[in-house]
Amino acid sequence: MLVFATSQPAFAAGTIAGTDIQNIAEATYDGPSGPVTGQSNTVTIKVDELLNVTVASTDGGDVSTSPGFVGNVQKYRVTNTGNGDEAFALTANVASGGDDFDPTFQKMVIDTNNNGVYDPGVDADYIAGTNDQVISPDQSKIFFIITTTPSGVANLNRAEVSLTAVAVTGTGAAGTTFTGAGQGGGNAVVGLTTASGTASGFLAVQSVTVALTKTAVISDPFGGSRAVPGSIITYSIAANVTGSGTMNNLTITDPIPAGTAYEIGSITLQTAGLTDATDADAGNYNGTRVSVAAGNVPAGQTRTVTFKVKIQ
Amino acid sequence: MRPVRSALMLAVTAALSSTASIAATPLQLKSDVFVERQVVRSDGSNAVVLEKPNMVTPGDNLVFVVRYKNIGGSTANNFVVTNPLPPAVAFNGTSDDSEVVSIDGGKSWGNLDVLRITKADGKIRAAVRTDVTHIKWNLNQPLNAGAEGKLIFRGIVK
Repeated sequence: MLVFATSQPAFAAGTIAGTDIQNIAEATYDGPSGPVTGQSNTVTIKVDELLNVTVASTDGGDVSTSPGFVGNVQKYRVTNTGNGDEAFALTANVASGGDDFDPTFQKMVIDTNNNGVYDPGVDADYIAGTNDQVISPDQSKIFFIITTTPSGVANLNRAEVSLTAVAVTGTGAAGTTFTGAGQGGGNAVVGLTTASGTASGFLAVQSVTVALTKTAVISDPFGGSRAVPGSIITYSIAANVTGSGTMNNLTITDPIPAGTAYEIGSITLQTAGLTDATDADAGNYNGTRVSVAAGNVPAGQTRTVTFKVKIQ
Repeated sequence: MRPVRSALMLAVTAALSSTASIAATPLQLKSDVFVERQVVRSDGSNAVVLEKPNMVTPGDNLVFVVRYKNIGGSTANNFVVTNPLPPAVAFNGTSDDSEVVSIDGGKSWGNLDVLRITKADGKIRAAVRTDVTHIKWNLNQPLNAGAEGKLIFRGIVK
Protein backbone atom coordinates (compact mmCIF):
# COMPACT_ATOMS: atom_id res chain seq x y z
CA MET A 1 0.00 0.00 0.00
CA LEU A 2 1.43 3.33 -0.99
CA VAL A 3 0.96 6.39 1.09
CA PHE A 4 0.38 9.46 -1.00
CA ALA A 5 2.02 12.43 0.60
CA THR A 6 0.94 15.89 -0.45
CA SER A 7 2.73 16.89 -3.57
CA GLN A 8 5.77 19.06 -3.13
CA PRO A 9 6.46 22.35 -4.86
CA ALA A 10 8.46 22.14 -8.04
CA PHE A 11 12.10 23.05 -7.79
CA ALA A 12 12.90 26.52 -9.05
CA ALA A 13 14.02 25.38 -12.46
CA GLY A 14 14.95 21.83 -11.75
CA THR A 15 16.53 19.18 -13.86
CA ILE A 16 17.30 20.47 -17.33
CA ALA A 17 14.77 19.41 -19.95
CA GLY A 18 15.89 16.42 -21.98
CA THR A 19 17.83 14.82 -19.12
CA ASP A 20 17.34 11.07 -18.81
CA ILE A 21 16.52 9.64 -15.40
CA GLN A 22 17.83 6.10 -15.31
CA ASN A 23 17.12 3.70 -12.48
CA ILE A 24 18.83 0.40 -11.83
CA ALA A 25 18.48 -1.70 -8.68
CA GLU A 26 21.26 -3.99 -7.55
CA ALA A 27 21.02 -7.14 -5.46
CA THR A 28 23.57 -9.23 -3.62
CA TYR A 29 23.02 -12.47 -1.78
CA ASP A 30 24.80 -15.58 -0.75
CA GLY A 31 23.96 -18.43 -3.08
CA PRO A 32 24.98 -22.07 -2.83
CA SER A 33 28.35 -21.31 -4.38
CA GLY A 34 29.14 -17.98 -2.76
CA PRO A 35 28.20 -14.31 -2.97
CA VAL A 36 26.30 -13.24 -6.06
CA THR A 37 25.72 -9.73 -7.39
CA GLY A 38 23.31 -8.64 -10.09
CA GLN A 39 21.41 -5.78 -11.53
CA SER A 40 17.85 -5.16 -12.56
CA ASN A 41 16.69 -3.78 -15.86
CA THR A 42 17.27 -0.09 -16.46
CA VAL A 43 14.26 2.18 -16.44
CA THR A 44 14.77 5.40 -18.35
CA ILE A 45 12.50 8.39 -18.17
CA LYS A 46 13.11 11.63 -19.97
CA VAL A 47 12.57 14.94 -18.23
CA ASP A 48 10.16 17.12 -20.17
CA GLU A 49 10.45 20.84 -20.56
CA LEU A 50 8.40 22.69 -17.99
CA LEU A 51 7.25 26.11 -19.21
CA ASN A 52 7.32 28.66 -16.41
CA VAL A 53 8.02 32.37 -16.26
CA THR A 54 7.83 35.16 -13.72
CA VAL A 55 7.95 38.92 -14.31
CA ALA A 56 8.84 41.57 -11.75
CA SER A 57 8.89 45.36 -11.82
CA THR A 58 12.31 46.38 -10.57
CA ASP A 59 12.01 50.15 -10.26
CA GLY A 60 11.68 49.98 -6.50
CA GLY A 61 8.74 52.37 -6.46
CA ASP A 62 6.93 54.90 -8.60
CA VAL A 63 8.89 56.38 -11.48
CA SER A 64 8.62 60.17 -11.44
CA THR A 65 7.27 61.88 -14.50
CA SER A 66 5.89 65.26 -15.41
CA PRO A 67 3.25 66.57 -17.82
CA GLY A 68 4.38 66.04 -21.41
CA PHE A 69 7.55 64.22 -20.45
CA VAL A 70 9.00 62.15 -23.30
CA GLY A 71 10.99 59.04 -22.44
CA ASN A 72 9.73 57.58 -19.18
CA VAL A 73 11.84 54.46 -18.52
CA GLN A 74 10.38 51.58 -16.51
CA LYS A 75 12.33 48.42 -15.80
CA TYR A 76 11.08 44.84 -15.66
CA ARG A 77 12.82 41.54 -15.03
CA VAL A 78 11.67 38.39 -16.85
CA THR A 79 12.87 35.15 -15.24
CA ASN A 80 12.69 31.71 -16.83
CA THR A 81 11.58 29.51 -13.94
CA GLY A 82 11.17 26.52 -16.24
CA ASN A 83 13.84 23.93 -16.94
CA GLY A 84 14.63 24.51 -20.61
CA ASP A 85 15.94 27.31 -22.80
CA GLU A 86 12.85 29.20 -23.78
CA ALA A 87 12.00 32.33 -25.78
CA PHE A 88 9.42 34.69 -24.36
CA ALA A 89 7.10 37.04 -26.24
CA LEU A 90 6.51 40.34 -24.49
CA THR A 91 3.64 42.81 -24.55
CA ALA A 92 3.36 46.16 -22.80
CA ASN A 93 0.04 47.46 -21.51
CA VAL A 94 -0.19 51.19 -20.87
CA ALA A 95 -4.01 51.37 -20.82
CA SER A 96 -4.74 49.83 -17.45
CA GLY A 97 -8.04 50.54 -15.76
CA GLY A 98 -8.24 52.06 -12.33
CA ASP A 99 -5.31 54.42 -12.68
CA ASP A 100 -5.30 58.16 -13.35
CA PHE A 101 -3.91 58.40 -16.87
CA ASP A 102 -2.57 56.33 -19.74
CA PRO A 103 0.88 57.20 -21.03
CA THR A 104 1.64 56.80 -24.72
CA PHE A 105 3.66 53.68 -25.51
CA GLN A 106 6.87 54.43 -27.40
CA LYS A 107 8.77 51.16 -27.43
CA MET A 108 10.09 48.25 -25.48
CA VAL A 109 13.85 47.86 -25.19
CA ILE A 110 16.09 44.88 -24.37
CA ASP A 111 18.87 45.44 -21.85
CA THR A 112 21.27 44.22 -24.52
CA ASN A 113 24.42 44.85 -22.49
CA ASN A 114 22.90 43.45 -19.29
CA ASN A 115 23.86 46.42 -17.16
CA GLY A 116 20.39 47.02 -15.78
CA VAL A 117 20.29 50.57 -17.17
CA TYR A 118 18.59 51.84 -20.32
CA ASP A 119 21.32 52.93 -22.71
CA PRO A 120 19.74 54.66 -25.73
CA GLY A 121 21.50 53.64 -28.92
CA VAL A 122 23.12 50.65 -27.24
CA ASP A 123 20.16 48.63 -25.99
CA ALA A 124 18.16 47.21 -28.88
CA ASP A 125 14.47 47.88 -29.44
CA TYR A 126 12.32 44.82 -28.81
CA ILE A 127 10.10 43.74 -31.67
CA ALA A 128 7.76 40.86 -30.85
CA GLY A 129 8.31 37.81 -33.01
CA THR A 130 11.55 39.24 -34.38
CA ASN A 131 13.96 39.32 -31.46
CA ASP A 132 12.18 37.41 -28.71
CA GLN A 133 14.89 36.71 -26.19
CA VAL A 134 15.84 33.13 -25.31
CA ILE A 135 16.40 32.86 -21.57
CA SER A 136 18.14 29.88 -19.95
CA PRO A 137 16.60 28.08 -16.97
CA ASP A 138 16.78 30.13 -13.75
CA GLN A 139 18.18 33.10 -15.68
CA SER A 140 16.68 36.57 -16.08
CA LYS A 141 16.65 39.33 -18.65
CA ILE A 142 15.86 42.99 -18.07
CA PHE A 143 13.51 44.90 -20.38
CA PHE A 144 12.49 48.56 -20.44
CA ILE A 145 9.17 50.09 -21.39
CA ILE A 146 9.57 53.62 -22.75
CA THR A 147 6.53 55.92 -22.64
CA THR A 148 5.44 59.52 -22.98
CA THR A 149 3.31 61.27 -20.38
CA PRO A 150 0.37 63.28 -21.77
CA SER A 151 0.56 67.02 -21.18
CA GLY A 152 -2.81 67.27 -19.44
CA VAL A 153 -2.04 65.19 -16.35
CA ALA A 154 -2.35 66.62 -12.84
CA ASN A 155 0.04 66.58 -9.98
CA LEU A 156 0.32 63.15 -8.23
CA ASN A 157 -1.62 61.35 -10.99
CA ARG A 158 -0.41 57.76 -11.35
CA ALA A 159 -0.33 55.43 -14.35
CA GLU A 160 -0.01 51.66 -14.29
CA VAL A 161 2.26 50.16 -16.94
CA SER A 162 2.52 46.39 -17.12
CA LEU A 163 4.71 43.94 -18.98
CA THR A 164 3.49 40.46 -19.85
CA ALA A 165 5.82 37.64 -20.92
CA VAL A 166 4.55 34.38 -22.40
CA ALA A 167 6.49 31.29 -23.44
CA VAL A 168 6.77 31.19 -27.23
CA THR A 169 6.29 27.41 -27.18
CA GLY A 170 2.83 27.93 -25.74
CA THR A 171 0.73 28.78 -22.72
CA GLY A 172 -2.38 27.41 -21.11
CA ALA A 173 -3.62 25.80 -17.95
CA ALA A 174 -0.98 24.04 -15.89
CA GLY A 175 -0.43 20.60 -17.37
CA THR A 176 -1.16 21.60 -20.96
CA THR A 177 1.24 19.57 -23.10
CA PHE A 178 2.86 20.47 -26.41
CA THR A 179 3.95 17.15 -27.82
CA GLY A 180 7.54 17.02 -28.99
CA ALA A 181 7.99 20.77 -28.49
CA GLY A 182 10.25 20.49 -25.46
CA GLN A 183 13.96 21.03 -25.36
CA GLY A 184 15.87 17.78 -25.82
CA GLY A 185 13.13 16.04 -27.77
CA GLY A 186 10.54 15.62 -25.06
CA ASN A 187 7.25 17.36 -24.61
CA ALA A 188 6.80 20.87 -23.32
CA VAL A 189 4.43 21.02 -20.37
CA VAL A 190 2.89 24.21 -19.01
CA GLY A 191 3.80 24.70 -15.35
CA LEU A 192 1.97 26.34 -12.48
CA THR A 193 2.71 29.85 -13.79
CA THR A 194 0.64 28.97 -16.90
CA ALA A 195 3.81 29.91 -18.84
CA SER A 196 2.72 33.53 -18.59
CA GLY A 197 3.77 36.28 -16.22
CA THR A 198 2.77 39.91 -15.72
CA ALA A 199 4.07 42.67 -13.49
CA SER A 200 3.05 46.29 -13.12
CA GLY A 201 5.08 49.39 -12.45
CA PHE A 202 3.76 52.89 -11.90
CA LEU A 203 4.48 56.37 -13.19
CA ALA A 204 3.68 59.21 -10.79
CA VAL A 205 3.40 62.87 -11.76
CA GLN A 206 5.49 64.91 -9.38
CA SER A 207 4.41 68.47 -8.55
CA VAL A 208 6.87 71.10 -9.62
CA THR A 209 6.32 74.81 -10.06
CA VAL A 210 8.62 77.51 -11.23
CA ALA A 211 8.59 81.12 -10.05
CA LEU A 212 10.32 83.78 -12.15
CA THR A 213 11.79 86.83 -10.47
CA LYS A 214 13.11 89.62 -12.68
CA THR A 215 15.37 92.37 -11.42
CA ALA A 216 17.19 95.19 -13.22
CA VAL A 217 20.38 97.06 -12.45
CA ILE A 218 21.07 100.30 -14.34
CA SER A 219 24.46 101.81 -14.84
CA ASP A 220 24.58 105.14 -16.63
CA PRO A 221 27.52 106.40 -18.69
CA PHE A 222 28.55 108.65 -15.83
CA GLY A 223 29.12 105.99 -13.20
CA GLY A 224 25.69 106.38 -11.66
CA SER A 225 22.43 104.45 -11.89
CA ARG A 226 20.15 106.85 -13.75
CA ALA A 227 18.03 105.70 -16.68
CA VAL A 228 19.24 107.93 -19.47
CA PRO A 229 20.01 107.24 -23.11
CA GLY A 230 23.22 105.25 -23.20
CA SER A 231 22.61 103.62 -19.80
CA ILE A 232 23.10 99.87 -19.66
CA ILE A 233 20.35 97.84 -17.99
CA THR A 234 21.37 94.40 -16.73
CA TYR A 235 18.28 92.20 -16.39
CA SER A 236 18.44 89.19 -14.12
CA ILE A 237 15.75 86.50 -14.28
CA ALA A 238 15.81 83.91 -11.51
CA ALA A 239 13.75 80.77 -12.11
CA ASN A 240 13.16 79.08 -8.76
CA VAL A 241 11.83 75.52 -9.00
CA THR A 242 9.85 74.30 -5.97
CA GLY A 243 7.80 71.26 -5.02
CA SER A 244 8.83 67.66 -5.63
CA GLY A 245 10.30 66.08 -8.72
CA THR A 246 11.94 67.85 -11.61
CA MET A 247 10.94 70.69 -13.94
CA ASN A 248 11.80 69.32 -17.34
CA ASN A 249 12.97 71.34 -20.34
CA LEU A 250 12.73 74.67 -18.51
CA THR A 251 13.16 77.51 -21.03
CA ILE A 252 13.45 81.12 -19.94
CA THR A 253 12.48 83.69 -22.58
CA ASP A 254 12.31 87.47 -22.29
CA PRO A 255 11.54 90.11 -24.99
CA ILE A 256 13.84 93.05 -25.42
CA PRO A 257 11.94 96.11 -24.03
CA ALA A 258 10.89 98.85 -26.46
CA GLY A 259 13.29 101.75 -26.50
CA THR A 260 16.28 99.58 -25.73
CA ALA A 261 18.81 97.67 -27.86
CA TYR A 262 20.18 94.28 -26.97
CA GLU A 263 23.87 94.27 -26.08
CA ILE A 264 25.44 91.65 -28.32
CA GLY A 265 26.87 88.60 -26.55
CA SER A 266 25.55 89.51 -23.12
CA ILE A 267 23.50 86.40 -22.23
CA THR A 268 24.64 84.36 -19.21
CA LEU A 269 23.23 81.30 -17.49
CA GLN A 270 24.48 80.72 -13.94
CA THR A 271 27.09 83.43 -14.70
CA ALA A 272 28.51 81.46 -17.66
CA GLY A 273 28.46 83.36 -20.96
CA LEU A 274 26.39 82.07 -23.86
CA THR A 275 26.51 82.91 -27.54
CA ASP A 276 23.66 84.69 -29.35
CA ALA A 277 23.50 82.14 -32.17
CA THR A 278 21.04 79.25 -32.17
CA ASP A 279 23.65 76.55 -31.65
CA ALA A 280 24.88 73.93 -29.24
CA ASP A 281 24.84 76.20 -26.21
CA ALA A 282 21.66 76.89 -24.33
CA GLY A 283 21.17 80.60 -25.22
CA ASN A 284 20.15 82.58 -28.28
CA TYR A 285 19.00 86.04 -29.33
CA ASN A 286 16.73 86.22 -32.38
CA GLY A 287 16.44 90.01 -32.81
CA THR A 288 13.42 90.46 -30.57
CA ARG A 289 14.01 88.32 -27.54
CA VAL A 290 16.56 86.26 -25.63
CA SER A 291 15.88 82.62 -24.85
CA VAL A 292 17.79 80.19 -22.62
CA ALA A 293 17.10 76.47 -22.38
CA ALA A 294 17.92 75.67 -18.77
CA GLY A 295 17.24 71.95 -19.11
CA ASN A 296 15.78 69.69 -16.43
CA VAL A 297 15.85 71.46 -13.09
CA PRO A 298 15.19 69.51 -9.86
CA ALA A 299 12.93 71.07 -7.26
CA GLY A 300 14.84 73.24 -4.82
CA GLN A 301 17.20 74.66 -7.42
CA THR A 302 17.33 78.02 -9.18
CA ARG A 303 18.56 78.93 -12.66
CA THR A 304 19.53 82.54 -13.21
CA VAL A 305 19.72 84.14 -16.64
CA THR A 306 21.13 87.64 -17.25
CA PHE A 307 21.37 89.84 -20.34
CA LYS A 308 22.05 93.48 -21.05
CA VAL A 309 20.30 96.19 -23.06
CA LYS A 310 21.21 99.79 -23.80
CA ILE A 311 18.65 102.56 -23.47
CA GLN A 312 18.23 104.33 -26.85
CA MET B 1 11.79 25.38 -27.86
CA ARG B 2 12.15 22.64 -30.37
CA PRO B 3 15.80 21.64 -30.64
CA VAL B 4 17.16 18.21 -31.48
CA ARG B 5 15.02 15.16 -31.08
CA SER B 6 17.33 12.35 -30.16
CA ALA B 7 17.11 8.75 -31.19
CA LEU B 8 17.23 7.87 -27.51
CA MET B 9 13.50 7.31 -27.36
CA LEU B 10 13.79 3.95 -29.10
CA ALA B 11 16.35 2.76 -26.61
CA VAL B 12 14.15 3.93 -23.78
CA THR B 13 11.20 1.91 -24.93
CA ALA B 14 13.34 -1.19 -25.18
CA ALA B 15 14.72 -0.73 -21.71
CA LEU B 16 11.31 -0.24 -20.17
CA SER B 17 9.93 -3.50 -21.39
CA SER B 18 12.80 -5.73 -20.40
CA THR B 19 12.91 -7.76 -17.23
CA ALA B 20 16.46 -8.65 -16.38
CA SER B 21 17.33 -11.72 -14.47
CA ILE B 22 20.73 -11.82 -12.93
CA ALA B 23 22.92 -13.68 -15.33
CA ALA B 24 23.32 -17.35 -14.45
CA THR B 25 21.69 -16.89 -11.08
CA PRO B 26 18.30 -17.93 -9.86
CA LEU B 27 17.19 -14.45 -8.89
CA GLN B 28 14.90 -12.17 -10.81
CA LEU B 29 15.12 -8.45 -10.12
CA LYS B 30 12.81 -6.00 -11.85
CA SER B 31 12.72 -2.25 -11.54
CA ASP B 32 9.69 -0.15 -12.38
CA VAL B 33 9.09 3.55 -12.06
CA PHE B 34 5.66 5.12 -11.89
CA VAL B 35 4.57 8.72 -11.74
CA GLU B 36 1.62 10.01 -9.77
CA ARG B 37 -0.85 11.88 -11.91
CA GLN B 38 -3.84 13.86 -10.75
CA VAL B 39 -6.88 12.83 -12.72
CA VAL B 40 -10.44 14.08 -12.59
CA ARG B 41 -13.00 11.31 -12.28
CA SER B 42 -16.23 11.39 -14.26
CA ASP B 43 -18.03 12.58 -11.12
CA GLY B 44 -15.71 15.56 -10.92
CA SER B 45 -13.67 14.43 -7.95
CA ASN B 46 -9.90 14.24 -8.09
CA ALA B 47 -7.93 11.06 -7.89
CA VAL B 48 -4.27 10.18 -7.93
CA VAL B 49 -3.29 7.42 -10.30
CA LEU B 50 0.04 5.80 -11.04
CA GLU B 51 1.18 5.83 -14.63
CA LYS B 52 4.19 4.34 -16.31
CA PRO B 53 5.71 7.47 -17.76
CA ASN B 54 8.04 8.07 -20.62
CA MET B 55 8.21 11.72 -19.68
CA VAL B 56 8.15 13.61 -16.43
CA THR B 57 8.64 17.22 -15.37
CA PRO B 58 10.40 18.69 -12.34
CA GLY B 59 8.24 18.36 -9.26
CA ASP B 60 6.58 15.14 -10.38
CA ASN B 61 6.19 12.49 -7.69
CA LEU B 62 7.74 9.18 -8.68
CA VAL B 63 7.20 5.75 -7.17
CA PHE B 64 10.01 3.26 -7.65
CA VAL B 65 9.13 -0.42 -7.32
CA VAL B 66 11.79 -3.11 -7.17
CA ARG B 67 10.40 -6.65 -7.46
CA TYR B 68 12.55 -9.62 -6.54
CA LYS B 69 11.93 -13.33 -6.82
CA ASN B 70 14.05 -16.36 -6.13
CA ILE B 71 13.40 -18.44 -9.22
CA GLY B 72 16.08 -20.97 -8.40
CA GLY B 73 15.87 -24.11 -6.36
CA SER B 74 17.91 -23.08 -3.37
CA THR B 75 17.74 -20.50 -0.62
CA ALA B 76 19.47 -17.15 -0.99
CA ASN B 77 20.94 -15.79 2.22
CA ASN B 78 21.99 -12.26 3.19
CA PHE B 79 19.84 -10.86 0.46
CA VAL B 80 20.54 -7.17 -0.06
CA VAL B 81 18.98 -4.81 -2.62
CA THR B 82 20.63 -1.49 -3.35
CA ASN B 83 19.14 1.28 -5.49
CA PRO B 84 21.41 4.20 -6.32
CA LEU B 85 19.21 7.25 -6.67
CA PRO B 86 19.27 8.82 -10.16
CA PRO B 87 20.94 12.25 -9.88
CA ALA B 88 17.80 14.06 -11.04
CA VAL B 89 15.64 12.49 -8.33
CA ALA B 90 15.28 13.58 -4.71
CA PHE B 91 14.46 10.80 -2.25
CA ASN B 92 11.00 11.15 -0.75
CA GLY B 93 10.80 8.25 1.66
CA THR B 94 9.48 4.72 1.73
CA SER B 95 6.18 3.40 2.92
CA ASP B 96 7.62 1.42 5.84
CA ASP B 97 11.03 2.92 6.69
CA SER B 98 12.58 -0.52 6.29
CA GLU B 99 15.55 0.88 4.41
CA VAL B 100 18.91 2.26 5.26
CA VAL B 101 20.31 5.08 3.19
CA SER B 102 23.62 6.58 2.21
CA ILE B 103 24.33 10.26 1.77
CA ASP B 104 27.90 9.83 0.57
CA GLY B 105 27.59 7.77 -2.57
CA GLY B 106 27.27 4.40 -0.86
CA LYS B 107 30.30 4.56 1.42
CA SER B 108 28.43 4.67 4.71
CA TRP B 109 24.91 3.66 5.61
CA GLY B 110 22.34 4.28 8.30
CA ASN B 111 18.85 5.40 9.07
CA LEU B 112 18.35 8.89 7.72
CA ASP B 113 17.66 10.35 11.16
CA VAL B 114 21.10 9.43 12.48
CA LEU B 115 23.11 10.64 9.48
CA ARG B 116 24.86 13.99 9.67
CA ILE B 117 26.25 16.33 7.01
CA THR B 118 29.23 18.60 7.51
CA LYS B 119 28.49 21.91 5.86
CA ALA B 120 31.01 24.07 4.03
CA ASP B 121 31.44 26.26 7.12
CA GLY B 122 32.33 23.21 9.27
CA LYS B 123 29.01 23.10 11.09
CA ILE B 124 27.12 19.84 11.25
CA ARG B 125 23.48 19.42 10.38
CA ALA B 126 21.07 16.52 10.25
CA ALA B 127 20.80 14.84 6.87
CA VAL B 128 17.55 15.32 4.99
CA ARG B 129 15.91 13.32 2.25
CA THR B 130 17.40 15.40 -0.53
CA ASP B 131 20.89 14.39 0.66
CA VAL B 132 20.24 10.71 0.00
CA THR B 133 22.32 9.13 -2.76
CA HIS B 134 21.60 5.41 -2.24
CA ILE B 135 18.88 3.29 -0.68
CA LYS B 136 19.48 -0.21 0.61
CA TRP B 137 17.34 -2.97 2.04
CA ASN B 138 18.88 -5.79 4.07
CA LEU B 139 16.41 -8.64 4.12
CA ASN B 140 17.08 -10.26 7.43
CA GLN B 141 15.61 -13.59 6.53
CA PRO B 142 16.66 -16.17 3.95
CA LEU B 143 14.92 -15.90 0.63
CA ASN B 144 13.57 -19.36 -0.01
CA ALA B 145 13.17 -20.89 -3.42
CA GLY B 146 10.12 -19.33 -5.08
CA ALA B 147 9.86 -16.52 -2.56
CA GLU B 148 9.27 -13.04 -3.87
CA GLY B 149 8.61 -9.54 -2.68
CA LYS B 150 8.79 -5.93 -3.62
CA LEU B 151 10.45 -2.83 -2.27
CA ILE B 152 9.00 0.61 -2.80
CA PHE B 153 10.41 4.07 -2.44
CA ARG B 154 9.31 7.47 -3.50
CA GLY B 155 11.16 10.27 -5.23
CA ILE B 156 10.58 13.72 -6.67
CA VAL B 157 11.98 14.89 -9.98
CA LYS B 158 14.39 17.68 -9.14
